[in-house]
Parts: sequence; C-alpha cells; structure tokens
Amino acid sequence: MTATSLTYFAIAAAQGAFKNVTVSERTAQAFADGSWILAIVYIVVALGGLAALVTLSGLVLIYVERKLAAHFQCRLGPMRVGWHGIFQTVADAVKLLLKEDVIPEKADKAMHLLAPFLSMMATVMVLGVLPYSPILQITDINIGVLFVTAVSGFGVMGILLGGWSSNNKWSMVGAMRAGAQIISYEISATLALLVVVLFSGSLSLAEIVQSQDAGWWIWRANGVGFVSFIIFVIAVTAEINRTPFDIPEGESELAAGFHTEYSGLRFSFFFLAEFINMFVVSGMTATLFLGGWMPFHIGAWAGFNGFMDLIPPVLWFTGKTSVVIFLIMWFRWTFPRLRVDQLMYLEWKVLLPIGFVNLFAAAVVVLYNLYPFPILVP
Amino acid sequence: MGRVDFNDVKHETRTFAGVTVPVSVVPRFKRQAYPTRFLFSLKSLVDGMRLTFGYLVRPSTVVTRQYPENRATLKFPERYRASLKFKFDENGYQSCNGCGSCERACPNGSIILETRKGATGKNEIERYIWRMDSCVLCNACVEACSFGSLEMSHDFENAVYDRRLLVYTLNRYAGPTANVLLKEENLEAREAMMTKIDAYGGQVPMNGYALPTVAALGTPREKAATDGKGEAS
Repeated sequence: MTATSLTYFAIAAAQGAFKNVTVSERTAQAFADGSWILAIVYIVVALGGLAALVTLSGLVLIYVERKLAAHFQCRLGPMRVGWHGIFQTVADAVKLLLKEDVIPEKADKAMHLLAPFLSMMATVMVLGVLPYSPILQITDINIGVLFVTAVSGFGVMGILLGGWSSNNKWSMVGAMRAGAQIISYEISATLALLVVVLFSGSLSLAEIVQSQDAGWWIWRANGVGFVSFIIFVIAVTAEINRTPFDIPEGESELAAGFHTEYSGLRFSFFFLAEFINMFVVSGMTATLFLGGWMPFHIGAWAGFNGFMDLIPPVLWFTGKTSVVIFLIMWFRWTFPRLRVDQLMYLEWKVLLPIGFVNLFAAAVVVLYNLYPFPILVP
Repeated sequence: MGRVDFNDVKHETRTFAGVTVPVSVVPRFKRQAYPTRFLFSLKSLVDGMRLTFGYLVRPSTVVTRQYPENRATLKFPERYRASLKFKFDENGYQSCNGCGSCERACPNGSIILETRKGATGKNEIERYIWRMDSCVLCNACVEACSFGSLEMSHDFENAVYDRRLLVYTLNRYAGPTANVLLKEENLEAREAMMTKIDAYGGQVPMNGYALPTVAALGTPREKAATDGKGEAS
C-alpha cells in the first residue's frame, strides 16, 4: 500500500466512507463489479484473519491466564521459556501437536473424532459476526444476536458428543452436567441480552453498537442495563464452564470431565475452544453493554471526547474485551466451585426471576420512554 | 447466612445431678432473612475478590521458592530426608561395625551389607551398599542403628540418566570402626587395616560393582544378564 493510498484510506475513514462496511459486503461488491480475484482475496483474508485470531488469542489468553492465576495465588507462574515465560504457551502448543492422539478402543470413533471440531466450529462461527471496529467485521447479519445465541448453544453438542462417545463414566457425567448447565444458563443470558435488544431496537450487532453512540447500555438504561450486565456476566461464565461453574470438568470428582479420554491435538481443540469462548463471550459483553468499539465519551466535554476518538476503535474493542476477560479470570481464581444443586438453585431460583423482572422493567422503561437520555434510532 | 457472635457467649455455672460445673452458653444460631443473606453473600464475594486483587498487585507476596536461582541460599527443615549418608568422625573413620541392624530394618531390601573378618578377628564392614532406586527414605535404618553411624542428609539433587547410578557405596574404606582403629597407635598399621574405597561424594556409581539385578556400569546389558553376579569389571 503506497503513501497516497494510505492517505486516501485515512481521509475516507475520517469521512466515514467505511462506516459499517463488512468484509462480506465488500466481497459481494467485488463480485458485482466482476473482479472475482479481489473477492477471493477478501474471502481468504477473512478466513486467514479468523484463523490468526483464534491461534493468537488462544496462545495469549492461556499465557495471561497462567500468569494471572499465579499472581492471584502468590506464585510467579511460567518463568523459564523466554522472558518471564512468554513463549511457554508456544512450547506447550508444539508439545500438544506432537503428542500421540489416543482413541479409546470401545469409543464411538467417528463421533469421538467429530466432537472437538463441533465445539471449535461453534466458537469460530461467533467470531465471524462480532464487530471489531466499524470497518472490521466479517459479516453483519441482521439477526446477529439470535445467531450468536443459537450457535453458542451448538457448542454444547460438541461437549455432549465428546463425553458420550468416549464410553467413559467420567466423560459421560461431565458431559451431562455440561449439558444441563449450559442449557439452563443460556436462558438467563438470553433474558439479559433481550434487555439490550429492547433498548437498541435491533438484533444486528453492528446496529447495537451504533445505538450506543450517546452512551453505553450498561449505564444509559436506568440501572436495568447494569442488572442485566451482571446477570449476563454470571450466565456466560457458567456457559463457558469456568470456575466457579466448572463442575463439568471438576477435577476432584470427574478426573477431567468430558475431555478425560482426549489427548494430543483433539484435547487441544477443546482447550483452545474454551479459551476462545472466553474471548467470544467477553467480546459479546463488550458489544452489548460496553459500547463495542465506541470510544468513551462524556456528555459535552468536546476536548476529552476528541482525545478519546483518537484511539482506534479496534483498541477500544480489545480493551473492553480484555477488561471483561480479566474479570472472568479474577472470578476463577477467587471463588470456589459450586455444587450441582447450588448451580441449579442459582440459575432457576435467583437469576431467572431477577432476569424476568428486569426484562419487564426494561420493557416499561422503553415503552413509556422513561430514560433521561434521548434514544438514537439508527 | 447467620453468624454466632462470641460476645454473646455467657459463662455461668450450672448444677447437674448435684455436681456444679462451669458452662458456656452459646446463643442459638439464627438464620437471617433472605435479603440480608443475599447482601451478606454479595459482600463476602466482594471481600474475596478484594483479597485476591491485593495479592495480584503486590508482587512482594510471592511465597514460592525460585529453586535454581536460590540454590546458594536454600534452607531445609532439620529433619528433611533426601538421601542416606554415613557419619565419619574427625579422622574420617566410621563407627559402623557391620552388625546388620539396618539391613534387617530396611522394609524393602535397599541396604545390602557385605562384611569380612578383620585383622583383629572382629566383624568389619567391607561394602555398605545403599540402593536409592528402591529406597523410600523411611528413616528406619537410622533409627535401627545402635551406633549412630547413619544419618539422613539434605542432598536432594540426585537425578541421573542411568538407574545404575542410583546404587551408592556409602563407606569410604573397608575396615574396622573408629574405636578399633584408635587403639592402634601406629598410623601405618592403621592404614594397613583399611582398604580404600572411593569416597562417598554423591554419584559414586557402584565402583564397577555389580548386584544380582543390577549390572555394573560399562557392562553391556546382554552380557550383564548372563553373568551379572559378583565383581564385573
């Protein structure tokens, strides 16, 4: 890219020429223009970008998790491979790739092989609709929120299948627990998410981000948004099987839960999917409640707002996502694991009633226009 | 979430069947109302998170020992057991007379004693073999020894690449105990009573010695399988 085209790009971006142009729209435009080579380049870039995102964020998140875990517990964590163990996850990944892939003799082989890919696929499909910045989104479908809910529910198929096909008691029990837990908590997550849909009046993720131009839903929605933010964070923590809701792989009871019989590359798929899931749910939380790639603005402080606009949207998205990821990791290394009955109690007797009341209150607020800030209809 | 307030514990005396005893009356555990419990549990969650965050932001709280870096300043508990060692007096003489108590006390045959008749006609030790590869460091040998000849040392860096390197010879010389040696005034005569063996200094690999199940170092395994008995090389 030459200096001229860079300048052109900068001006065009400043003028909003690239506002909400997704990669898929650009591909369609290229096809319509007849330059199918450009279209293929766009597709390859999108796929390669997703693969790079999955790999890189997986490696980084695992390293960060280990370091944070160590420091939360008065340890140092990985310190040997590279400066402060920065290449530890690379070494681990290489080790996992080289390990033997053991399939139990009595396992349902086809299902056993398929399960990690199902789990991974559900995760990667959500990455395709997340708006990382106004000009960086693979595709913006007009039912984005519904798509994310449906596809992330699909991930439990991989876990159930993996646990069942392993032909192992621990795996089976872990998978059943995971199924019960994920499907239960999806209700609360969806109820919390519906509040944002009510306020923004759209199911498209890009439009939900646009609707937070005047303020993020976490505080602009008169407290209803904050309650649903809390419910959403708790529910998604349970959905991605992280402590304090990690009973599907509770080491003290179930060996390793649903992935007891997995090794090598297939185990690393489950492992990676878990961490990318954390990225996905944090990205969703940031998009729905924290304004996605929107910069932080305070009312009429033009200077402050102008300074905040200088930070690129991608960094805003990454920063907000990182904050939520840190919060989830902080949960993990502070709270003890819940029992199965406590888990179900929390969902059906605490979160669900609060979620319904909250949704009703949100409906009243939206219906009677009770908010102090004007709502932007995109 | 209810808590017992220990300020409310009353101390009084009561009479049971004519015997007066002091008793502490603890107030009944009271379960609080749902909203109180809800807020209390929220508060306890926040407390926990504040605590762990404190650990995170203060690196000085790191409690783990950074082993290879702190090798020079490692400290061990006094009774830490890492490997078996012979005690030697200031002349380098041992007090072991080869009585075999340790060998009998050993639960899994990790100690093999070979004795000989000395110049004075007394039993004396020829070779004291300690097999670290099977030793469980239970300390039974040290406790069984009536002469205080053994101790557990803190030398823990015992990793080797060959299992046979884990078979140690603990004595430095084959010969009588310090008591017998010190009775003999003539130094040369003393020396004549002792047969030097490589000093115990960590990995002393059997000194070319073979055991029924363990071939000597440098012996091919096939050959060792056929004639793995007695002195090999």
